Amino acid sequence: MSGAADREAVFPTRQSLGLMKAKLKGAETGHSLLKRKSEALTKRFRDITRRIDEAKRKMGRVMQIASLSLAEVTYAVGGNIGYQIQESAKSARFRIRAKQENVSGVLLPAFESYLTEGNNDFAMTGLGKGGQQVQRCRETYARAVEALVELASLQTAFVILDEVIKVVNRRVNAIEHVIIPRTENTIKYINSELDELDREEFYRLKKVANKKQRDNAALDAEMKVKREAAAARDQENQAPAEATEESGDILAAEEDEDVIF
Amino acid sequence: MEGLFFNVNNGYIEGIVRGYRNGLLTGANYTNMTQCETIDDLKLQLGPAYGDFLASLPPNPSTSSLAAKTTDKLVSEFRYVRANAVGSLAKFMDYLTYGYMIDNVALLITGTLHERDTRELLDRCHPLGWFETMPVLCVATNIEELYNSVLIETPLAPYFKGSLSHQDLDELNIEIVRNTLYKNYLEDFYQFVNTNPEMSGTPTAEVMSEILEFEADRRAINITLNSFGTELSKADRKKLYPNFGLLYPEGTLMLSRADDFEGVRLAVEGVSDYKSFFEAAGLGGGPGGPGNMAGGAGSDGRSLEDMFYQKEMEISKGAFTRQFTFAIIYAWVKLREQEIRNITWIAECIAQNQKERIGNYISVF
Repeated sequence: MSGAADREAVFPTRQSLGLMKAKLKGAETGHSLLKRKSEALTKRFRDITRRIDEAKRKMGRVMQIASLSLAEVTYAVGGNIGYQIQESAKSARFRIRAKQENVSGVLLPAFESYLTEGNNDFAMTGLGKGGQQVQRCRETYARAVEALVELASLQTAFVILDEVIKVVNRRVNAIEHVIIPRTENTIKYINSELDELDREEFYRLKKVANKKQRDNAALDAEMKVKREAAAARDQENQAPAEATEESGDILAAEEDEDVIF
Repeated sequence: MEGLFFNVNNGYIEGIVRGYRNGLLTGANYTNMTQCETIDDLKLQLGPAYGDFLASLPPNPSTSSLAAKTTDKLVSEFRYVRANAVGSLAKFMDYLTYGYMIDNVALLITGTLHERDTRELLDRCHPLGWFETMPVLCVATNIEELYNSVLIETPLAPYFKGSLSHQDLDELNIEIVRNTLYKNYLEDFYQFVNTNPEMSGTPTAEVMSEILEFEADRRAINITLNSFGTELSKADRKKLYPNFGLLYPEGTLMLSRADDFEGVRLAVEGVSDYKSFFEAAGLGGGPGGPGNMAGGAGSDGRSLEDMFYQKEMEISKGAFTRQFTFAIIYAWVKLREQEIRNITWIAECIAQNQKERIGNYISVF
């Protein structure tokens, strides 16, 4: 039997049987808990996958609009304003905050974007011509970055969840396919060993009892022979030694009675 | 009378420029271009007009390199014309480049203000606005030195002098500096075409006045519209309006008081062209202010900017109906610039697969 190999190295004692039983119970509880965790995470994972899909499509659309609006700026301003924009930008207008979200014990980072009010570093760019396009382009790109931030937080969550789900599933499988069978095997082994010991003990006792019985029978037979011999002698000796003989007889009979327990 | 001796000095140039004008892309060319599936197809379509200049581009070039190459052609043709120009035509063409020079100087000022290596910026400067002493400006490490070298080395000195001090360069937004310079430039140019003995009273003065007046009005309107929601005060804004143009003086005064799109519309009421532009733009959901329009949503109904460009192109096209005038050079440069913008736009639309807005180019021929 394969179970013989796959068990823990314990001495088959009643104490370790108790330990193993407790362990099995623990493993089963752990298994059901982990299974539930894995299910919750998988649900979340699917949700995130769906949202990533949506976010990616949205990003595609938004980026397309944004780059077109950049083309519009180039068209309206009629030149390259990149340098000017780079130089006039002093502080970030679009910022993100990192939060943590707890999904069944897994910390997922979530990025939240916000605009700093009143920060308009290049409001005057394209004052002479194309200013409206520049502003519009900025708004579109702000939206594009927003989509990117959303996608980024989803992607991070995706990667982390993927890792965690793998670990949890590995644990679930390990408990289900290794720890529980092994513990069960160990319990079976201990039980069988204990049964074996019981049977051995019983057999031994039976043997002892048999021997005792045999001994008794032999003793009884001997006694009988003795008694018969004594009776024969009594009849020969008659009355003179009758009282003394009787007391001796009683002592001998009493000696034989302590066999059974 | 003005035609009598015009051809002695300027006949050749006029002939050349008219030839160049015939090389401009026509509506049919643009229709062909919009049918293109890839940039390579577009390059092929541009072959007859830009062949030599596009030849060195790798297959499927980026739109910016395409724009750079097409600009190169304009620049080389402009330089050829400039090299052949004499007398006041040469002066006139120099004036033409001052606008680009202002942009370049503004770029250098930005670089110096932020303590960048301005030598790297020389590549970014517009080649038409290049002047020989421009690298000298890069030597300046602080804004005062730069200011002095600009005064000494560039033809822009008169535009700085009197309206901007070196402290202003430090404190004012670069856009305000740029627009102040541009205002002075436009006024000076206007003055030049109307007072120069060779030009005043000739078709040059007439056509150029029309073009420059339109340019001045356009700037005034744009500055007003773009300044809403910024820290530009009304008094400062007023200083940026050129002192001539169809709107001047009542319209500009009203513009300086305008608080919103509606105010601007009222201010331009007096000029029928602008009035119709505003009505068209107002109906189309209108660029009432920055950010009013969702990006990319302005596909139907053209923006005010588009209509201004259209108008500019029509004026430029009209300039070619006149003879014996320098204005055709200005008009040709503007038409070519628009053509470059159109090509860039079409290339951009093709590259981004956004065919629905590809027809947004402006073609007048």
